[in-house]
Amino acid sequence: MILLFLTSGLFLGWSLGANDASNAFGSAVGSKMVSFRTAAIIASIAVILGAVMQGSGTSQTLGKLGSVNAIGGSFTLALASAVTVYLMTKLSIPVSTTQAIVGAIIGWNLFTGNRTDAATLSTIVISWISGPVLGALFAIPLFIFITAVKKRSGIHLIRFESYIRTGLIITGAFAAYSLGANNIANVMGVFLPAFNLQELNLGIISLNSSQQLFLLGGIAIATGIITYSKKVMQTVGASIVELSPEAAMVVVLAQSLVLFVFSSSSLSSFLKGAGLPSIPLVPISSSQVIIGCVLGIGIYRGVRNINFRLLGQIGAGWIATPVITCILTYLSLFFFKNMFNIDVGHRITEGAVSPGAAQTVTDPVISDLMRYLLLGILAAGFFVILYYYILERNKRKELQRSEIKFWKNIK
Amino acid sequence: MALFTRTTKNLIIKIEEFFDNVEIGILVFREGIKSYLINNREDFVRHLQKVDALESNADKLQREIENDMITNSILPQHREEVTKLIDQLDEIIDSVKSSLNDFNIELPEIPSALNNDILDLTEVSSNAAEELIPAARAYFRAPYTVREKLLKVYYFETETDKISKGIKKQIFQQMPELDLAHKAHLRYILHHIENISDIAQKAADLLSAMAIKVIT
Repeated sequence: MILLFLTSGLFLGWSLGANDASNAFGSAVGSKMVSFRTAAIIASIAVILGAVMQGSGTSQTLGKLGSVNAIGGSFTLALASAVTVYLMTKLSIPVSTTQAIVGAIIGWNLFTGNRTDAATLSTIVISWISGPVLGALFAIPLFIFITAVKKRSGIHLIRFESYIRTGLIITGAFAAYSLGANNIANVMGVFLPAFNLQELNLGIISLNSSQQLFLLGGIAIATGIITYSKKVMQTVGASIVELSPEAAMVVVLAQSLVLFVFSSSSLSSFLKGAGLPSIPLVPISSSQVIIGCVLGIGIYRGVRNINFRLLGQIGAGWIATPVITCILTYLSLFFFKNMFNIDVGHRITEGAVSPGAAQTVTDPVISDLMRYLLLGILAAGFFVILYYYILERNKRKELQRSEIKFWKNIK
Repeated sequence: MALFTRTTKNLIIKIEEFFDNVEIGILVFREGIKSYLINNREDFVRHLQKVDALESNADKLQREIENDMITNSILPQHREEVTKLIDQLDEIIDSVKSSLNDFNIELPEIPSALNNDILDLTEVSSNAAEELIPAARAYFRAPYTVREKLLKVYYFETETDKISKGIKKQIFQQMPELDLAHKAHLRYILHHIENISDIAQKAADLLSAMAIKVIT
């Protein structure tokens, strides 16, 4: 039963992969510099690494907004967010999972009578605005720099594009890594207090309880990328403004820098140590940041290039997402509580021990099950990648053979 | 990453080799016509064979370039135009080859009074095609300079038209000793030589648009 509750989180992870994660490679795929298959494989690996290695920082911020104290509540929150993100994705509107989960937490707070921490909420909402602005501010100088290099170096166009392609793959992987680090809190953050799994030793590294959940969430995101992100990638990459390959690389690089800045605990403590204002570790929307970056380049190149109608649709989606998720969560909590008699959470009184803590799962059977599940999925992923590699190699060999045959026949 | 570098390097070499082929093909064409006009049959055949080999190599390179660009998804946004440009440059060397072949098969009788004019026409028409090659090379390295390089192509194409018109006038209005079939044959031969600059102009139009697209 306890693992069944996790499925809504996995569904949300899948939705995140289908939607937000596509931003890492959307511009590259949209500009046809990187094939969707290559992009999906690299993004999947990077997003899992980011989630496992650097995912804890932003989870704490979400916890401050509303500490969901029953696993039934976590399940409902994740489900309502996932449904909203899925529907928005189905309509090809790049939507933010962060906004969905924040809307859901507010919905839970309203239902259980808990107070929404205004300071945390305002920090998160401000980051939604500062994220895209920062994206544009990063993108414009980077774009100016790259176009100047291209103009002055006299480098061969094909060689330049080859460098850009390599750059797109590296920055795309970095963006996917940052996305995993920044957004895994949306997927698994609400489940963290409910699980206390035994440490999983993978030989080179060992994963603690939350890292195992992050790994599972990362795999769900990867599945979303592989199975459903193609359509949104094309919207992001090709519809808002026609992107040249170098602009595509700048967009991805600027986006990943912004995401990294908002999820790096080391950078935050470094700034604090230097006496500067520290950056809040907030899960921000990669969709919003990427739109900011694309818009920044669009403004630099001349406003004529920008598809304002589509931007308007996306903007409407941003406002609608938290509102819809909040209402949907409230209604779902009411439904699950009264129809199935599931504990969805309680009002937290100051100084009292949270009843959610009593529900923590420590069963070793669950830990074993999780271990086999994760190892099985990782092995399956490895074989799928190997299969595609062999397929690709055979295709190239076949082409070579047909080419040799062609010239032989001509002679 | 190493794979990308190798593919890129090979493709650049192939494109450069293709341009070299076309450039040499034009030079050989010029020399071939000269040999024909001075009745040096041996040289003419040698030039014809050389053009044949160059044309066949250009065809092979063209196909390899297209294959490499498609299979490795190189220059996805400009691929269509680049392959079209390569195709039009290939048309120049095709036209050069077919002209020399026509000379070889039909053995047109050219009145000696027209020798210098036809040499001029060949020179100017070849110049138009020759000036296209540096512009095509510049597209890949300095697209900002393409349009200024193309000015010469347009100039030589106009000159070709003028010279050709003059020769045709001379054939049809000032040479009553030639019969109509002979005149028509000479016009056909002139059209072949002229055609090279026409193809060059068409390629220049395409290249000019391509350069703007790369710059903006």
